Amino acid sequence: MIARLLIRIIALAAMAYLVLPLVVIIGASLTETSYLAFPPQGLTLKWFGVLFDDPSYVSAFITSTLLALAATGVAVLLAVPASLALARYVFAGRAAAASLLMSPLVLPYVVLGAALLQFGTDFGLARSFEALLVGHVVIVMPFVLRSVLPLLTPEQRALEEASMDLGGTPLATFFLVVLPQIRGGIVSGALLAFISSWINVELSIFNTTSALNTIPVKMFNYVQYTIDPTIAAVSAITIVAAALVIILLDLLIGLDMLSERQQP
Amino acid sequence: MTAPRMTLAPLLFAPLAFFAAFFLAPMAVVALASLTTDEGGLTFAHYARILLDQYHWDVLWVTFRIALATTALCLLIGFPLAWYLVRIVRWRSWRRACVILIVVPLFTSNIVRSFGWMVLLGRTGLVNQGLMGMGLTERPIRFLGTETGILIGMVYILMPFVVLSVGNALAKIDTALEDASADLGVGPARTFWFVTLPLCLPGAVSGAIMVFALAVSAYVTPALLSGGQITVFSMLIFQQYSSVFDFHYGGALSVTLLVLTLVLVTLAGRIGERGRRAA
Repeated sequence: MIARLLIRIIALAAMAYLVLPLVVIIGASLTETSYLAFPPQGLTLKWFGVLFDDPSYVSAFITSTLLALAATGVAVLLAVPASLALARYVFAGRAAAASLLMSPLVLPYVVLGAALLQFGTDFGLARSFEALLVGHVVIVMPFVLRSVLPLLTPEQRALEEASMDLGGTPLATFFLVVLPQIRGGIVSGALLAFISSWINVELSIFNTTSALNTIPVKMFNYVQYTIDPTIAAVSAITIVAAALVIILLDLLIGLDMLSERQQP
Repeated sequence: MTAPRMTLAPLLFAPLAFFAAFFLAPMAVVALASLTTDEGGLTFAHYARILLDQYHWDVLWVTFRIALATTALCLLIGFPLAWYLVRIVRWRSWRRACVILIVVPLFTSNIVRSFGWMVLLGRTGLVNQGLMGMGLTERPIRFLGTETGILIGMVYILMPFVVLSVGNALAKIDTALEDASADLGVGPARTFWFVTLPLCLPGAVSGAIMVFALAVSAYVTPALLSGGQITVFSMLIFQQYSSVFDFHYGGALSVTLLVLTLVLVTLAGRIGERGRRAA
């Protein structure tokens, strides 16, 4: 039982290690001092106010949100037909197409970001919202694919065929039968896609400018020179937003994947 | 398949065209640039510059050393945590809360997480205060700008991957196998070593290789926690594209990192597949 106790101690220490930085950031964002202090001295929300009064933060916030929304939207529009094609058809190059569409998951984003900058320079696309957008679509699409594909099962297929047999047009079948069946996958995939776009630095950093900036890149450039409570406040906002999305995902698909004996 | 083939092309055309235009084409441009001179002639000089220069090997060695240490520590801490969550925790709500707490960092920007450690590891940060308070050190220890500092941040960022992949493997093990081993008079330690560990090894190995690949190509965390004192491979790429503007040499660096990562990931896939077949 000594082993068990040891595991408990390591596990709880590891949990503390995982939570500590987040607690420190949220705590430090509430300090009244003009320098970063943890534990916070006094409690105030003024740093969040400072943030929203700074036009460069507001515009970065808007850029990030528009970028994440647009990238997620385009990715869903591309990924749903692609999933249908990959799940429904056997064709030459199917495996290659699947691994091409999934490969951004494992590629170093730095390399893709650099590639898009260089490619964009050749075509006059560099350092524009469009350059950011196409890159983000590429990196978030696998998340949508990965959560939609497993839902296109033979059972799902049977209902689809029933609808066609009863005279439903392909389009009507898609919107009335298929879409409701894969809606859960689309929503959770879209949430993952949105978040991954929203927090990305490595890809965005190559195509941003001081006028066209996303929140994480702005933070990255800022943190290298100054550390103050405003940066803690931005961080705190992103942590709280992430926590909310995860709780939403948990309610939606259940994140408790570690329960014992959940064998099929 | 009975579905009409004529709908295949329209379904797949747009996604593939998009990837060809904004993923394959940019990559091809980089690969091409890495093999050409400014005048457009074919050359291997940029690769020679990387492979024949001691500095690059030093940077690669630092990158690998940090990645290896990160992977080892992620396993050492992540495995017990996964075990605890799957085998020891009995209270479902607590496990659920833990899983959420493990996933939250994954959904938070690397910047934010590294920034947290910049605050914690500073000279007057909480970690040094704690160490001095416990009398473990007289003077503040320098973490920022050292490999230890980078390591603390990297393990923090990548450990959730190990916990989730090992945890998944552990949760799928049929405990009847362990009971059988115990019934046959085998002690818990030997049962763990000969039954449980081999069963969750594929999960651990593929998680570890994933962590290693991500650690090798990491940029933000080392950039913030190194304080300009330590250079890892991805920083070289960033320098070339953001300030030096040598796309040929930068391209060769990119391709080198890409090939390295792809080899690692393919390896991880192979091992994961073998594990799935064995299970």
